[in-house]
Amino acid sequence: MKRRTLILSGLGGAAMLVVGWGVLPARSRLGSASTLAPKDGEIGLNGWIKIAANGDVLLAMNRSEMGQGVHTALAMLAADELDVPLAKVHLIEAGHDTLYGNVAGFVAALPFHPRDAEPGRETQVVKIGEWLVGKAARELGINMTGGSSTIADAWDVLRVAAATARAQLLGAASLRWRLPVAELSVDDGVVSHSSGQKAHYGELAKAAATTPSGEVRLKEPQQWKLIGRAAPRIDLPGKVDGSARFGLDVREPGQLYAVVRHCPMIDGGYGAVNSDAAMKLPGVERVVRLGPYAGSTAALAIVASTTWHAQQGAQALQVEWRAPPAGTLDSAKILVELEARAREAAKTSGGFAFHSRGDVAQADQAAARRIEQVYRAPYLAHATMEPINCTARVADGKVELWVPTQVPGLARALAAEVAGVREDAVTVHVTYLGGGFGRRLDVDFVGQAVRIALECNGRPVQLVWPRDEDFTHDFYRPAGVALMQASLDAQGWPTALRITSAGDAITPRWMARGIPLLAGPIDLPDKTVSEGLFDQLYGIENQRIAHVATRSGVPIGFWRSVGHSHNAFFSECFIDELAFEARQDPIAFRLALLKEAPRHAAVLKLAAEKAGWATPPPAGVARGVALHESFGSIVAQIAEVTLSNGKPRVLRVVCAADVGTVVNPGIVAQQMESGIVFGLSAALYGRIDIEASTVKQRNFPDYPMLRLADTPRIETYLVPSTRSPGGVGEPGTPPAAPALANALFVLTGNRARSLPLING
Amino acid sequence: MGGGVVLELSINGQMRTLAPAAVDPAMPLLWVVRDVLNLTGTKFGCGVAACGACTVHLDGQAVRSCVTPLSAAVGKPVATIEALGTADRPHPLQSAWIAHQVPQCGYCQSGMLMAAAALLARNLNPSDAEIDAAITNICRCGTYPRIREAIRSAAAALRAAQPRPVPRAAPRKLA
Repeated sequence: MKRRTLILSGLGGAAMLVVGWGVLPARSRLGSASTLAPKDGEIGLNGWIKIAANGDVLLAMNRSEMGQGVHTALAMLAADELDVPLAKVHLIEAGHDTLYGNVAGFVAALPFHPRDAEPGRETQVVKIGEWLVGKAARELGINMTGGSSTIADAWDVLRVAAATARAQLLGAASLRWRLPVAELSVDDGVVSHSSGQKAHYGELAKAAATTPSGEVRLKEPQQWKLIGRAAPRIDLPGKVDGSARFGLDVREPGQLYAVVRHCPMIDGGYGAVNSDAAMKLPGVERVVRLGPYAGSTAALAIVASTTWHAQQGAQALQVEWRAPPAGTLDSAKILVELEARAREAAKTSGGFAFHSRGDVAQADQAAARRIEQVYRAPYLAHATMEPINCTARVADGKVELWVPTQVPGLARALAAEVAGVREDAVTVHVTYLGGGFGRRLDVDFVGQAVRIALECNGRPVQLVWPRDEDFTHDFYRPAGVALMQASLDAQGWPTALRITSAGDAITPRWMARGIPLLAGPIDLPDKTVSEGLFDQLYGIENQRIAHVATRSGVPIGFWRSVGHSHNAFFSECFIDELAFEARQDPIAFRLALLKEAPRHAAVLKLAAEKAGWATPPPAGVARGVALHESFGSIVAQIAEVTLSNGKPRVLRVVCAADVGTVVNPGIVAQQMESGIVFGLSAALYGRIDIEASTVKQRNFPDYPMLRLADTPRIETYLVPSTRSPGGVGEPGTPPAAPALANALFVLTGNRARSLPLING
Repeated sequence: MGGGVVLELSINGQMRTLAPAAVDPAMPLLWVVRDVLNLTGTKFGCGVAACGACTVHLDGQAVRSCVTPLSAAVGKPVATIEALGTADRPHPLQSAWIAHQVPQCGYCQSGMLMAAAALLARNLNPSDAEIDAAITNICRCGTYPRIREAIRSAAAALRAAQPRPVPRAAPRKLA
């Protein structure tokens, strides 16, 4: 496939084909006031902002809060441009207008090399590709919280909406008082003039709605009052007193509870079901048969008066489970197969080359020495703390959902399909998410909940998956294998890098489940398989970075940092190996290869300085480093590791990051800490094993993760930047595993090339 | 079904009557609290006492309510996150949790706070090792370093607020 056809890859490409992008005008993302539900005393100024009678600001919240702090950060963007304190911004449900779709997240799915996509210096191909996909994403308007894209997507849109509203409010005051706008000032949502005239936003809103905004200018950075400050998160008061409402906390009048029991074998089914014993149990109301919904395995649901009564019923069911027709899945065999596919492709320069430069074959021939290593990563579960759930009511031809989801529009579409109603007959209330990590980009459980609700005579029903159902029926982080090959010159310096990886592609599988309309018969190259490998900026002259997309049959999904989650382990450990071969200090070696990547070098230097890299660690402690760019942000981590009873123990992690303009440094630090703990848990312990299509790990004791006693001290330092904001929810995760593994090598002399490190 | 006996539960300082049709003595306290009494601050995480999201106080001790049968709770005071503090008078841990900006997704935090409150109720100056031993709950967002700091600062605040033994008056110096 030619490089240019890459533009058509991923969601954007498929989307364009469907909507006929050429004829539709780009939609303004300011939106109209009519998009927001009218309510007495509230005046809408655009699709994002309403003003309450008391002058408070009501902000349409289109993104899901799953811990990453976006509700606070988005409210800060609006508050700053409107000159109101954060406490005066209240969030309201955004609804389903395409206005609220995610554009930045889909544009970022294009597989361009960062050398070609540097803002302001994009190549023509990149410009066209981004324009096309941006246009298509606007038309489609898929509301998705993921890909660490929330702030990047809202940065201009929300600030412009708030600044436009402010201009209209000032314009209204100017007309009312017959005073020039330039002489008015705003403080805490009160417009005033030196003559003594004064009015709060609530008093101006009605007139403002019909006042043109005139020219709207965004604030200059030096005028920001909130952006750049560690404002306290607005969601925390409810999260320390138990009042925050997660999906499982929904309590509607007459509510029933349901528990699911899937066929233990992935994609299996069932024959005879004997529910006599279950139905005799107190509290049990009914058994509902569930087919597959958006990728789920066939299941049975028990509806009862409480979750516990439903659990009792589920255990009492006697079911003849049926093996899946397509054979049985075995994760160990899949890993062997992936390695064989990677080796075979490496021999023939096969697979899809996401990046090529120079002449690898010639460099190989001229090499003094060549090295080759195989890296492996297992399947992983998301294991969100809040088990999978959805509450649904179907009554009078309408569906109401209360659901912790990252994709409310996809939830609505599936609910409508299952209930046989139009999409506008479905109301979706997005609750807080007790963790998402990508699991809640899938909506299988929504289909199940609606199907159950159809049997409940108009009563709301809350479906919950017991923890073992979550572990055994996840959409897993795909297993991956990479064959890493380098040619070295006589001094041990790398002259060529060839990476041939193999693994399943997530995006086409996810689209087939969640957006079947856009899923094509052919898998186009999916950036996520090679991200973190093909897009490295190390100055090795000759490169071929290719991937063999496989179809193992294991249900796979997006997992915090996606392809970077394992590809950073492959690439940053191998770079460490190359430093060792060249007899160079790991940081000096990386810096020598980063002469054309000054931002990366600055991040690495900051980490080295803060970690005291130049000073040796205490006896028995070793340091390891990793540097990785993902989701528009560059993160370096230095891990200090020791051995405790022969097992690695991470004592300290120093994290340096360039995340572009920082909206809330407190939240950035939180997210780096979060990403590191998440990454270390996976690196040390994370593995999902599948035998005979059955997942072996069933609950937390089988799938260990870091606890407080195992958690290192974490320090986060930010490189100042004026670029537009990058992501923060995911970029902290990828460097954690390689930093740890590289430290372990120093400590033990053994190079670990397979994850997990302890539980392996 | 409880042999038709009406069960009474002392929870958050109130006696609550539980209808025999609604509960069972074997029913874990978690589900009584969440699905019968609708106190949803206490969370379901694993069902096997592994994650601690369901931690409540039973007779002042932190217990994992997902494996504590109702029968074991009857006759003893039960306290949940809803009774840890009030908006006007938050528990020092709740104030410290805000000051240190601890929660992210927040789902595990009720259990974390209840485990920490039980620790501080018996030990106002816990060492790191004692904090490690008391807080074995799982947080998928990795809020652990801030939890440790918040426990330390809440403990310090509680120590500072304690009535101190009145020091014996020093002999007055003669001018």
